[in-house]
Amino acid sequence: MTVVIKFENVHKTLGPTRVLEGFSFQAEKGKIMCLVGPSGCGKTTILQLLAGLELPDAGQITGTEGLKVSYVFQEPRLLLWKTVAGNMDFVLRDAISPARRQELIAKYLSLMGLYEYRDSYPKALSGGMKQRLALCRALAFPHDLLLLDEPLKSLDMPLRLGLVRQLTNMWRENPCTMVFVTHDIMEALLLGHRVVVLSARPATLLDTVDLNLPFEQRNIGREPLPSHYERMLSLLEAESMKSLPYL
Amino acid sequence: MKNSISLTRGLLPLFGLAAFIAFWQLISGFYSHVVVPSPAEVAQTLWTLAAGGELWEQSRHSILRGLLGFCLAVAAGTPLGLLIGLNPVAASLLRPLVVVLQVTPLISWLLLAMIWIGFSRVPVFVVFVTTVPLIVINTYQGVKSIDRQLLQVAQIYRISKPRVIREIYLPQVAPYLLAGVSNALGVTWKAVAMAEFLSVQQGIGAGMAVARINLETAALFAWTLFLIGLGLVTDRLLACVTHHKLKHWM
Repeated sequence: MTVVIKFENVHKTLGPTRVLEGFSFQAEKGKIMCLVGPSGCGKTTILQLLAGLELPDAGQITGTEGLKVSYVFQEPRLLLWKTVAGNMDFVLRDAISPARRQELIAKYLSLMGLYEYRDSYPKALSGGMKQRLALCRALAFPHDLLLLDEPLKSLDMPLRLGLVRQLTNMWRENPCTMVFVTHDIMEALLLGHRVVVLSARPATLLDTVDLNLPFEQRNIGREPLPSHYERMLSLLEAESMKSLPYL
Repeated sequence: MKNSISLTRGLLPLFGLAAFIAFWQLISGFYSHVVVPSPAEVAQTLWTLAAGGELWEQSRHSILRGLLGFCLAVAAGTPLGLLIGLNPVAASLLRPLVVVLQVTPLISWLLLAMIWIGFSRVPVFVVFVTTVPLIVINTYQGVKSIDRQLLQVAQIYRISKPRVIREIYLPQVAPYLLAGVSNALGVTWKAVAMAEFLSVQQGIGAGMAVARINLETAALFAWTLFLIGLGLVTDRLLACVTHHKLKHWM
């Protein structure tokens, strides 16, 4: 296994909150890793540390040096004064030639069903459409490491499943390292080569599953997905009980 | 029914204006025309000033001086506001000076400018010093209210610093800057008239000084009405430009 990204004994405190305490994990090059965990356990902080937007208080993060990172934040974070195409052009302008840029913008907007809105402003889009635009922007930007923070949370179930398939197809075209944060265990099992379940804050690894099944053979009702799902769900339920003891 | 309600609402300002003119007419009946000239008398004076060309000649000077001082204030105040907003050292150094500029009485600037730069340049200088703090403070407030999450987007996608300023900072500062520009425009016409009144022989303020000396109260009212009109027109023009530029995302 080629390890490219490694957290070693990482500590991180945000304000009064100890988010990570001696946290360690590894992500394999060119594979999709999904992080599942209860709300507030530190999943977003892990992504921010990977992206270099936050620095660890102690410990080491290795393997991210020099990587081109693309990031889908929890919020769409769009430039409201730019059109849909303008928002994509904003991130691509310094990285890609003009002709190729137009081609990429058209390609990704079409893939996400936003092409007809290319000249609209974000104000005119629904929450789900804005999130898809943020996804387009991240996918079109040339990257080695793609970080996705609950990118499908504001979408309906059929669209989510469709986009999970879309993401696996895109990964086949460009097998980058992907770290995907989600609350949805099934989404993680359909998408990840490795699924990691995190405990409540401060995060520790509760369970790790490596899935060698090809994407096209993964099905919600087909083993081993339901067994993994059951186990992970009970782990997460137990974690939620810890943070909500009155339940 | 709906149309008649919106028509009535649209006409309300005109009713208010008509009521004011009626009240003015009533009051003018009780006083000499030197104290309170009637609306008709003021309208007649305004017409005479316009037809004789004096209104346009004097207002040409005032508008040019006002716009020059105002443009200089925008040109200097915007980068200064950005600098204070972006650089904590510059903020500590320059913010007190901007506050001093803002609270210094207009009359002090007027008198000092007469001594320092000569009478002819006083109106431009006074407009500049009275409007530049408004531009600086509004730009600074705009920078302080920048969405930090968008700066993280720029950091991730490695957007260059000049592009971050141009494409993230300036569009977010724009509404604040435009509010400052709108305030500054209102102050411009008041400041230019005041400065001309005390320092020069041409301009609306100078016209008012002559009217005062000759006890031509109707002319004073006429010049005042013209200044109010000038303020309203420039404010409306600015509002149109603002609406046109920001309508897609504000």
